[in-house]
Amino acid sequence: MPAPRLRSRSLRRVFRKVPGGRVSLHYKKRKPKAAKCGNCGALLKGVPRELPYKMRSMAKTKKRPERPYGGVLCSKCMRKEIINRVRQ
Amino acid sequence: MIEVGRLVTKIAGRDAGKKAAIIDILDDKYVLIDGETRRRKCNVLHIEPLNQVIKIEKSASHEEISKALKEIGIEAMQTKPKLKTEKPKKKRKTPEQLREQKEEKKKLRDLFKFKKKEEKAEEKKEETLEGKAGLIEEKKEENKETKKVEAGLKTAPVEDKEAATKEDNKNTTKKMAKKIEKET
Repeated sequence: MPAPRLRSRSLRRVFRKVPGGRVSLHYKKRKPKAAKCGNCGALLKGVPRELPYKMRSMAKTKKRPERPYGGVLCSKCMRKEIINRVRQ
Repeated sequence: MIEVGRLVTKIAGRDAGKKAAIIDILDDKYVLIDGETRRRKCNVLHIEPLNQVIKIEKSASHEEISKALKEIGIEAMQTKPKLKTEKPKKKRKTPEQLREQKEEKKKLRDLFKFKKKEEKAEEKKEETLEGKAGLIEEKKEENKETKKVEAGLKTAPVEDKEAATKEDNKNTTKKMAKKIEKET
């Protein structure tokens, strides 16, 4: 019987082959959900889904696209924003 | 709206939000641009025209455009010319340099070696002020004298030995006592 703290469904179960030759069960954390646009709610592109310990070790340019409002707004909403800014 | 000299902002890409002027019309869809952005062709759908128009000739050079834009208050992008530097050539090290490298590596290795207790004690003696002054040598001489005394006592019977060791223990330190015990 697994310990009560390991029965939670927020952990995923993985079968791994061990150096001794047998197969054992490992418990791993689940990845976070994909990022969404701040305006319309569409899924953002160019933003990876990783646990915090991996995101911290990545370079800044690998976590968001290289344009204004990159990683915050989708490309359509960004174009509308700039047009509104200009037309004032 | 789309004519030579019209001021424009880019909507899409890395330079979104930057201003530029139209230099040349290539097609139904494409247009040449220069200003805060780089000098390149651009799609008409990625452009938002503004109210102003500048007086430029068709396909003018970068310097003329930067002058015309300065009067309005826009600074054009300027790229620095690349400096030509020679590639660093790898040279073989001379035998003297190799020797220095080896010595430095040895020093680092010796720092992290596992030291025995005797070696540690010897190092401590050297580091203290007494050791630097040279007073440790006097202690070594005293050791030699006591050793000679013990050699003479060994021939005596057992009772005398015990008495002698007790007398010696009072005068000597613990380290000396250990040495005496080893020898007896």
